[in-house]
Amino acid sequence: MRGIIGRERGSRRASRRLAASAIAVALAVACTDVVEDPTPNRVDASGPLSVYVVNYPLEYFTERIGGAHVEAVFPAPRDLDPAFWMPPPETIAAYQEADLIIENGAGYARWMEYASLPRGRRVDTSAGFRDRWIASEGGVSHGHGPEGEHSHVGSAHTTWLDPTLAKEQARAIAHALVSLRPLARADFEAGLGALEADLDALDRRLARALEPFSREPVLFSHPVYQYLARRYSLEGRSLDWEPGEMPDERKWSAFGRSVEKRPARVLFFEGEPHAEVTGRLSAMGIRIIVFEPVGNRPAQGDWLSAMHLNIKRLAAPAAPGAMPSQQVDPQGT
Amino acid sequence: MSLATDSLYLAWRYLRHQRMKTVILVAAIATTSFLPVGLNVLVAKSGEELMARAEATPLLIGARGSALELVLSALYFESDPPPPAHYGEIDRILESGLAEPIPLHVRFRVRDQPIVGTTLEYLDFRGLRVEAGRRMARLGECVVGAEAARILGLAPGDTVVSSPESAFDLGGVYPLELTVVGVLAPAFGPDDNAVFVDIKTAWVIEGIGHGHQDLAKVEAEAAVLAREGDRIIANASVVEFNRITDANRESFHFHGDRSEHPVSAIIAVPHDAKSRVLLMGRYTDPDEPNQIVRPAQSMAELLETVFTVRSYLVAAIGVVAIATLATASLVFMLSFRLRKRETETMVKIGGARASIVAILALEVVVVIAMGLLLAGLLTLLTERFGSGMIRVLLTS
Repeated sequence: MRGIIGRERGSRRASRRLAASAIAVALAVACTDVVEDPTPNRVDASGPLSVYVVNYPLEYFTERIGGAHVEAVFPAPRDLDPAFWMPPPETIAAYQEADLIIENGAGYARWMEYASLPRGRRVDTSAGFRDRWIASEGGVSHGHGPEGEHSHVGSAHTTWLDPTLAKEQARAIAHALVSLRPLARADFEAGLGALEADLDALDRRLARALEPFSREPVLFSHPVYQYLARRYSLEGRSLDWEPGEMPDERKWSAFGRSVEKRPARVLFFEGEPHAEVTGRLSAMGIRIIVFEPVGNRPAQGDWLSAMHLNIKRLAAPAAPGAMPSQQVDPQGT
Repeated sequence: MSLATDSLYLAWRYLRHQRMKTVILVAAIATTSFLPVGLNVLVAKSGEELMARAEATPLLIGARGSALELVLSALYFESDPPPPAHYGEIDRILESGLAEPIPLHVRFRVRDQPIVGTTLEYLDFRGLRVEAGRRMARLGECVVGAEAARILGLAPGDTVVSSPESAFDLGGVYPLELTVVGVLAPAFGPDDNAVFVDIKTAWVIEGIGHGHQDLAKVEAEAAVLAREGDRIIANASVVEFNRITDANRESFHFHGDRSEHPVSAIIAVPHDAKSRVLLMGRYTDPDEPNQIVRPAQSMAELLETVFTVRSYLVAAIGVVAIATLATASLVFMLSFRLRKRETETMVKIGGARASIVAILALEVVVVIAMGLLLAGLLTLLTERFGSGMIRVLLTS
């Protein structure tokens, strides 16, 4: 019997190995159970709030209100109009991770329409005055298929050019910051108070500087001045001329006919126009005033100083090209 | 020790020699042991999993109809789509300040995998982590669950096309090519099987949003029927895009009032117990077009039915088990009687009576042990995979 047992030792070891493997498999299967991670707490109370914004005015307002409590990020390149910028997916991913996403609203930054952003962290700063949005001009409506006629026309979106609306946008930012950091309420309110005072002063100065232009029709190089025009009673019509570009002859003829029908002596330009444009308009007796909407970072200074520079240009002598370019005091003193 | 080992060895050799008899006995014992235990484990585990997901979903809001259908669609993406509610309900919940709403649009599929239109909050709410790539960032992008990625063979950078609702639906919902930008880590739940898109992308698949040629441009001239000032009237031949690219993304737009756009359900996460009660109170009006459902309650009612059926089944299996064990005992007794000459030979060649009894006893013990081990393995497998099968049965 022992001899038989000795010859069969190998077979027994193989049986043991098989049994051990079966038990190991069984244990592995039994232990495969995963507990879902809880939803992470997004707002870290220790560091500054990460606040992503869609244009420079909102970045400026956020920094003024939030101070050291916020890290405002405006990732658009300096040479692009943020209203029509299309951020790459990596930048959208950065927006997704922010504690707060500050929107201008009124259809500004159309890329947000196509982006997946966390709704709960978005703040539409112009939602509070939706009833005062201005419908944009010149849209085309069309119809096709079973759904019938529809239009892709939106709203004018350079809301901050009306300082009273800019104040409401600033308040929306302050409200959102307070809801995330209630303990810093006093700091936020102080920042908001100072900003509101500056915006009130800006409003008064703009009213004084634009008052002479409200007496006769004016021209705008682009449809971006709607809120400025409404606030300060400017009667104007918009062209579609890019700063730095020479319009083709077709545009010049249309412009000539338009001016003949409704004379205007002032053209507000978003940026420095092409030298040839300046010369030709000057020959037509039309004064160019560069009034930058400051949707993106100015070359020098900040949003407020850039707006005061606009005011200084309004007050400059009537000769074309006599536009100040030096840095000015933000208070305009 | 040596006596026990040798007896075990001889018992094992006998069982191996009588393979067919051993396999039948082991299978009979395993089956009768496994069925009641496995059924209990299956129902308990399934109930636990179904309840865990239901309990992790505080409230569901959807159009009036079957509460169970709403729960199964929103939690497991499996049942027929419930009647749609309107996206405007989201604003209503937000304005109430009582809860955080998360929209769900579950109607379309990529082959057998459900397309779940939602917002990023859903991924955070369920604790879904991206294992490869990134979360969806733009219209036309999708993030796939771990199991969906395996089944469809997808990785970040691949594309996948939504399936038409019907092969004959030529004029209805048309397929949209989705770009896979991320694959989720396994979550061991229904989210693993889903293809997640932004809810706006789901609306594009539904045809509420679309992109097409710029009708003001020369290329679209053939599709233009008339131009009247700022109005352009085009015929149905205008080219609509079924792939969203950087070049055409800006042409996509949505028709109608966004508050009228459809959602199949809204997950509402109340801020506290009081908000929960107040929110539920808002949906008690019989004229209210929407209903609010506590998923845990709906699932508990469903499971109660399942538990009732289980108790009948366990009783029936118990009777079968007694009959099987009696038969197995009979087989062993008859086997020992047939082997009487064999045991007498073992005594004659010097085998101790105790050793012979031990060998025969160990044969019985080994067969029972193998049967129980097999039953245990089957129970573990049931615990691991059975609940998924039950969920498919319940939701299909």
